[in-house]
Amino acid sequence: MRKIKNDGKKCSDYCLFRFYFLYPKWEDWMKTATVKSRYWHQQQKIAPYLFIAPFYILFAIFMGYPLISSLIMSFFEMRGFQSRIFVGFGNFADLLRDPIFWKSLWNTTYFALGTLVLQLPIALFLAVLLNAKFVKGKNFLRLAFFTPVLVAGVFVAIIFNLIFDQRAGMINNEFVLFGKEIGWLNDTRFVMPAVILTGVWQWAGYNMIFFLAGLQGIRQELYEAAAVDGANWWQSFIHITLPSLRPVIAFVVVVSMIGSFQLFDLPFILTNGGNPSDSGTTIVMYLYKNGFQFMRLGYAATIGWVLFVIIAAISIVQLKLLGIFREE
Amino acid sequence: MYFPYDFESFPLGKGPMVMLVLFLISCFFIFAPAEEEGEKIEFWVFAPTHYNEYQARLPIFQAQNPEIDVKLINYGNAMHDKLLTAFLSDFGAPDIVEVEITSIGRFLKGAIDEVGFVDLRPRLENEGWMDKLVQSRFTPWSYKGRTYGIPHDLHPVVLLYRDDLFKAAGVEMTEIETWNDFIDAGKKATRDLDGDGTIDQYAIVLDNKSDSDYFNLLLQRGAGFFEADGNVVIDNEIAIDTLAFFVSLFNEHEIATPVYGTWHGDPSNYAAMQDGQILSILAPDWYLGLLKSQVPQMAGKWKAIRMPAWEQGGRRTTTRGGTMIGITKHSKNPELAWELLKFTYFDTDGLTNRYETTSIIPPLKDAWDAQIYKEPDEYLGGQRIGELFIELASDIPPRYQNPYWSEAADLLNDAIFNAVTEKQTPKEVLTSLAEKVRTIIAKDQERWEKMQ
Repeated sequence: MRKIKNDGKKCSDYCLFRFYFLYPKWEDWMKTATVKSRYWHQQQKIAPYLFIAPFYILFAIFMGYPLISSLIMSFFEMRGFQSRIFVGFGNFADLLRDPIFWKSLWNTTYFALGTLVLQLPIALFLAVLLNAKFVKGKNFLRLAFFTPVLVAGVFVAIIFNLIFDQRAGMINNEFVLFGKEIGWLNDTRFVMPAVILTGVWQWAGYNMIFFLAGLQGIRQELYEAAAVDGANWWQSFIHITLPSLRPVIAFVVVVSMIGSFQLFDLPFILTNGGNPSDSGTTIVMYLYKNGFQFMRLGYAATIGWVLFVIIAAISIVQLKLLGIFREE
Repeated sequence: MYFPYDFESFPLGKGPMVMLVLFLISCFFIFAPAEEEGEKIEFWVFAPTHYNEYQARLPIFQAQNPEIDVKLINYGNAMHDKLLTAFLSDFGAPDIVEVEITSIGRFLKGAIDEVGFVDLRPRLENEGWMDKLVQSRFTPWSYKGRTYGIPHDLHPVVLLYRDDLFKAAGVEMTEIETWNDFIDAGKKATRDLDGDGTIDQYAIVLDNKSDSDYFNLLLQRGAGFFEADGNVVIDNEIAIDTLAFFVSLFNEHEIATPVYGTWHGDPSNYAAMQDGQILSILAPDWYLGLLKSQVPQMAGKWKAIRMPAWEQGGRRTTTRGGTMIGITKHSKNPELAWELLKFTYFDTDGLTNRYETTSIIPPLKDAWDAQIYKEPDEYLGGQRIGELFIELASDIPPRYQNPYWSEAADLLNDAIFNAVTEKQTPKEVLTSLAEKVRTIIAKDQERWEKMQ
């Protein structure tokens, strides 16, 4: 075995052996380095790209290709399984005139607003409560509030179907709201509120975890300093807690909005496919119906891209409003 | 033995080393050639009850045909979407597949020659099966003169009722012959029992949010959404009259209650039945099977009569739901697939077993002689329900299939709800519904003509 002069540094014989094992021609390369310097340089240039290539190849196959082909698809319409027809912007024009699309867009927006004004404040409230010193059994409560998110949406929908039932359901039997029975899932006005309430039950605990993490990152000295200055609890909440939570709030709001606009399984099961009168149909449900039930893949692709634009626009506006792009 | 490598000295560390090894192992499995066994037949189903039935009986088929290797897969509710994807991508479709009646329409879109199922009519005619099966039951699985599937069932509908509670209201249900008789009886039986001003028991439960009950009444009258040639007829006089009648059961006569929950098979609906709030329901044979398995504690409380007719001597049944079995054009072995298909659908022992487990009457007339259909049914207080179903079987109305059924049914659900909640009159909802569906169809036609 050839031996390389050990210049007294830390590499042992074994280490050198490994080096040879990995790069057996290392010495030859060094000898011919001048001759092959061009190749060597090329190789150095190419190597990083090769290292990152697996990601890009997978991305291209599983994300890039479907994205581009769905964009192309949105300018076509299927005719059966084997042929398609170019319709230009026909699908987009149809979409604008499609009352069920507008209805599903409104339902989805309604749910998103419900999430924003109901679910996230509840999540924040729970987080503040479970971060307070006087609450006992925090770990148990945190787990308890978090647990609903572990239940599959389908089961949640089936359970809430029983709870919201007009005559036999728990809500109408236990709490007579507004002095009369509410047809939660039978009255077009109450279907989305029922979905929102179910969403609160399922997701508030999940978002609570993010707020809790944010709360625990706020420096205690700030509160102490405020207390010294005579601030009450509410003032410290408004002037310390909320501003310090801004990045977390921005994250939770944006992620919840994206999730809300992609809502599918919960209303799909809860309303048996959007009934009555499409009052529970969301955009993604309508996309699914068109793509898989009506075999209108072009139209479904169009809905998908319109949804993408809506989500992107809303996310950017929210991030702007919440000051995420602001230089600190 | 001295081995220069250990996990720690791998240049990128232990994690990547493990990943690399796993990667190489899985590559081996992916690229290793599959073992050559006998002829393979892949068989997809979506209903767990069907899966259990076939799974239990496949060993018999395998013993008769040892060279065929059957792979039976239950994909549940996702099966139709999987089949659609397989047809679209021309990859991975099964040899034989069961398709549900409301889902088959979408598979018939486009040029008739491009439909992914084999036309079974020649085989059925050559082997003499056609006359042995109930003819009208081929309509849901046929389009433009081709037959893409063999019916699994007939699904005749009867009126299940609570004999005890109707008797308590002074009504003898066996005397009911027409819907007018039923309305009179229903008015007596729909009552506020405790005098608190709310009605405690309704004569019938009907689905006001989806097409099931209204469409059943429509079929009973020999009408439908589409005609055999594909014409939309949901706005004809019979359809409007039937919807007006359906709405009147809720609003004018006040003898019907909307389904509890989302459909008749919802736990809330079963709960209402057990509480005696529902006195009758239009039930196909499979629904009876569902009741037996979901609310066994109600055994002995139900009885069945023929559906009330629209006029004296009229048809006293209809049909709801259904499944077909078909061979896909992707099958490499349609002959073997055909053998398996006959085994699962035409074998009398198997069909007897099917009735025993699911209460489903087969469309094969030869099978009806079996003793099991003559036996008293304990769930219905000893009534011979099998005989009743078979008596009704020959009168099953046709239910014409159409590629636009999914779109039509989706809009029909809304129309029914709007009519029952009196947002619009039956005539208005059905006229605008027919208009919408015709527009959808015309638009596609126009585009296709432009292409040619």
